Amino acid sequence: MGNKQTIFTHEQLEAYQDCTFFTRKEIMRLFYRYQDLAPQLVPLDYTSCPDVKVPYELIGSMPELKDNPFRQRIAQVFSQAGDGHMTLDDFLDMFSVMSEMAPRDLKAYYAFKIYDFNDDDYICAGDLEQTVTKLTRGELSAEEVSLVCEKVLDEADGDHDGRLSLEDFQNMILRAPDFLSTFHIRI
Amino acid sequence: MSAYYRGSSPGGNAGYPDYSGSPNRSQGYLKTQDYPDFSGPQTNPGYPSKRSNPFSAGSRTNPDHHGSLPEPDYIESQSNPYHPGLSREPDYPGSQQHPDFASPRSSGMSAVSRINPGYLGSLAEPDYPGAQDCSNHPGPRANASHPGSRRNLEYASSSINSYIDALGEPDYPGAENKTSSAYIWGEPDYPNAEDYRNAPKFWGEPDYPGDKNGPGYGSSETQEMIRVLSETSSTQHSFHCRSNGPLDILRRESEDYPGSIEMTSMEVAGPREPCLPGASGAGYVNPAYVGERGPVCAYGNLPLSECDWHKSPEGQKLIASLIPMTSRDRIKTIRNQPRTMEEKRKLRKAVDKERSKQCPQTLELRCCAQCLNSCSRGFRRSRNGVSELLNTTSLWQKTLKVIGGKFGTSVLSYFNFLKWLLKFNIFSFIVNFSFLVIPQLTVAEKNTLPFTGLEFFTGAGYFRDTVMYYGFYTNSSIRHGGSGISYNMQLAYLFTIGACLIICFFSLLFSMAKYFRNNFINPHIYSRGIAKLIFCWDFTVTHEKAVKLKQKNLSTEIRENLSEIRLENTKLTFHQQLTRLSAHVAAWLVSTGVAIACCVAVYYLAEYNSEFLKTHRNPGAVLLLPFLVSCINLAVPRFYSMFRLVERFELPRHQVYVLLIRNIFLKISIIGILCYYWLNIVALSGEECWETLIGQEIYRLLLMDFVFSLADSFLGEFLRRIIGKRFITSLGLQEFDIARNVLELIYAQTLVWIGMFFCPLLPFIQMITLFIMFYVKNVSLMVNFQPPSKAWRASQMMTFFIFLLFFPSFTGVLCTLAITIWRLKPSADCGPFRGLPAFIHSVYGWIDTLSGRPGYRWVVWIYHNLIGSVHFFFILTLIVLIITYLYWQITEGRKIMIRLLHEQIINEGKDKMFLIEKLVKLQDTEKRANPSALILERREVEQQDPFDLGEQAAVPDLRLRQSFQDDNSKA
Repeated sequence: MGNKQTIFTHEQLEAYQDCTFFTRKEIMRLFYRYQDLAPQLVPLDYTSCPDVKVPYELIGSMPELKDNPFRQRIAQVFSQAGDGHMTLDDFLDMFSVMSEMAPRDLKAYYAFKIYDFNDDDYICAGDLEQTVTKLTRGELSAEEVSLVCEKVLDEADGDHDGRLSLEDFQNMILRAPDFLSTFHIRI
Repeated sequence: MSAYYRGSSPGGNAGYPDYSGSPNRSQGYLKTQDYPDFSGPQTNPGYPSKRSNPFSAGSRTNPDHHGSLPEPDYIESQSNPYHPGLSREPDYPGSQQHPDFASPRSSGMSAVSRINPGYLGSLAEPDYPGAQDCSNHPGPRANASHPGSRRNLEYASSSINSYIDALGEPDYPGAENKTSSAYIWGEPDYPNAEDYRNAPKFWGEPDYPGDKNGPGYGSSETQEMIRVLSETSSTQHSFHCRSNGPLDILRRESEDYPGSIEMTSMEVAGPREPCLPGASGAGYVNPAYVGERGPVCAYGNLPLSECDWHKSPEGQKLIASLIPMTSRDRIKTIRNQPRTMEEKRKLRKAVDKERSKQCPQTLELRCCAQCLNSCSRGFRRSRNGVSELLNTTSLWQKTLKVIGGKFGTSVLSYFNFLKWLLKFNIFSFIVNFSFLVIPQLTVAEKNTLPFTGLEFFTGAGYFRDTVMYYGFYTNSSIRHGGSGISYNMQLAYLFTIGACLIICFFSLLFSMAKYFRNNFINPHIYSRGIAKLIFCWDFTVTHEKAVKLKQKNLSTEIRENLSEIRLENTKLTFHQQLTRLSAHVAAWLVSTGVAIACCVAVYYLAEYNSEFLKTHRNPGAVLLLPFLVSCINLAVPRFYSMFRLVERFELPRHQVYVLLIRNIFLKISIIGILCYYWLNIVALSGEECWETLIGQEIYRLLLMDFVFSLADSFLGEFLRRIIGKRFITSLGLQEFDIARNVLELIYAQTLVWIGMFFCPLLPFIQMITLFIMFYVKNVSLMVNFQPPSKAWRASQMMTFFIFLLFFPSFTGVLCTLAITIWRLKPSADCGPFRGLPAFIHSVYGWIDTLSGRPGYRWVVWIYHNLIGSVHFFFILTLIVLIITYLYWQITEGRKIMIRLLHEQIINEGKDKMFLIEKLVKLQDTEKRANPSALILERREVEQQDPFDLGEQAAVPDLRLRQSFQDDNSKA
């Protein structure tokens, strides 16, 4: 850690600290994790803000994400271009939201985006079907899946418009206290 | 908006460096004379660059878009020969060209509006959703509706939004072509305008005079306009679903918020004003509108709004609201923004800049502020350092990650609880060690007792005369050298233990409150929770096998849930209900009976044991009682869990809770009976140094419990695995019983708290045992267990555990210690309190000595009037009761409110569905009635608007307009 001054300037580190839920040490740890993903790609000097992106194939192969059924969505949501290729900023953002300290609303916002497969700002029946399929590895029959989607919409759709808006989702998350601890990736 | 100016030509930049920092920004928007330099911006060469700013910023890779120069397309539109004044127009083609124009924008918008509810009122524009809806109604500013649409349920549907979007789009190119008249231009643009001839007049003409004398432009006109609008809307039924809403809202807005009238009127006028030759010919453009324009087009544009977000009004508002905050709150708010790092960083920078600008002008004050600033920064840095230091001691980071990855959050919660208790004990140990043990060690006498090794188990013998037990501590004041400073051991003992317990109390209370807050936000709506199953995927699980297993378990659980839903209506017969009920009653009777029998057994054994020990000299004999207690603790909970073979619960959660209640009843009553025995029999028996005896007993209990847990982990769980794997394979691997394990931890912690007074080093012992337990349980878990098959309500259980730790356990400890300190007579020959009639008398004596010294009168006064006064506590209790009652009432009121709001949401949803239905129906009839006109219109749209990506959105809009006309003509 002795050479952290050469990786980031003091101001950069401070900005990262202010913009994420991490301490300096955790930021450095995350940086090294990031750098380890693509050592030949990521320079050890970030003082000049190089424009480096680690491709999704490498991000998705991290042990934290490797087996997550939603890894692709996570990478897409947190990458700026939506293609899953991540800059260091995106990377830090992702783990900041997934950290223990992030508040419920922030987590719910990103969880909503992750479950919103078609990016239309609503979780519709199609999104739900994809979610259920991912969650159960396709073990449920099509009829069961559609029944589940129907039930979920029944339960969570506050304004009965046939799909879940962010508000519906947040409202439902309020009733699921485990969400805070489960929407969490340890680093 | 300030950024908008800042990003403009260098001249403008220099002219308005402080603009964004002006505290009365909202006023600045209301009064246009604030920007004299901006009159006639269309002749300002800097203007195009200003325009281009947001757009060029659309490219994410351009970090410094401030300096970016006009892009060609804007210049082009700028050079439109017909419209010298149409410098603003590039907005619209520009925004239309953006591929993201139609739908995805709303995502950015929703983000903006979602995070901003707290800042209503700082700026005018987005404050009133209605106002925005109104502004989009006139047309070009259609995209501005998005922020509002989130809050405005009628417009939440994106399809409706896209109509509104589309409404403006085709008209702009039209406006370019039709240079001659505002009226011609205005007609196709505004359906109302077309239908109600008074409307275009009103919107076209009177606006602009008003426009020119910017600040005076205002309320009366708006009132009038609103009246007209409301007239139009009230007579127009078929159009109801779309136009009436915003108009209505506008009307309501202006009635409700007189202050907003000016704003809304500007909103209305702003978008149309640039397109009017009258306005441009006059060479005067109300700068306020120019100001309005930038941010609005920033809205319209997704890439733009992402990158330049902090320059948009939302961002500006956020910045404005951030400025007065303390640095801590500010960082918190910035962190909580759902935006990318880049934006957050820019936001932070912008806020810092604003703050530095806002510094008071006078030199002294600035100096002061700088000093304060640097102080606070230094403080923040040091606090960061401290928190980092604390985090470095965060133990087992990696182990916990592995456990979470393999077993999920629920099992992890046990280990987190263990870690939490460990921290507690470390803290208690540090306090006790530094304030009791170290002073005592400086005056320690030589220990002459022999050490054999058995003492580790019995805690007696050699250890009796060490700092471990109460009896060893001196009752004199410790004095070193000639300094005259003395250390009163009596007071130190009492206050250290007291402080320790008080701090434990508060940290328990706060963590309990935190858990309650997180978990019981909305306790009275619990649904069956299939949604929770779906959306609460455990992201902590990273192990491949565990993920597969979890997916499998989840699908079974979903299936079960579904079958439950299907079978929901099958009622139990009376006979079945009766059997169930009788099974419950029997189980409760048996469990309570067993618990009482255990207590009685422990009590008589303890009594008998003391007799027995007097005659028996074997030092190992003292282990009998702890052994028996640990046996009970080991066997009876397993016996209880066998009840589940007979008892049937509808929900597995109920079973867990019932089991927990029975277990905690057993454990706490055993501890209670032991306390009774210690305080009423041991303490009054006249033994020499009974406090040390109690301390030893607790030590033995704790140690025996630890040994049993170890044995259980190594032998019991291991054997169970062998049996499950080799012999009775149908049993399979066992699951980690979180409830039982947590209860064991709670039991041990209760003992530690009770024993802390008699054995100040007990937290140290517990620290070591917990440390070892962590590793043992970890190894056992990895080897012997499989991940839980049910989704476990881990966090709710955590709340329950901490509550249990607080309520029977910690409060019981407080009662026991209070009785000890106030009622019991300390032993005569040992310990710090020897010779006193009660422990508390040391405090009385101290107060007496203090009252002799004039400098300490206030301590005495506080003691007599507050701590020692019954009246004070009586009044305090009364006040607390009153406050509690009031809060309870408030809670009741809130509950009603929540219910009403919930109903309202449902009603709004129904309204929306109804309106959409009606709209669709209308479109259908319309299509049938007049297909040719529609096609014509559509062609027109395509010609004029080649970039329109929201075409399909535009078409329904046109249909709508068509229907509008039809209705009108029929009328």
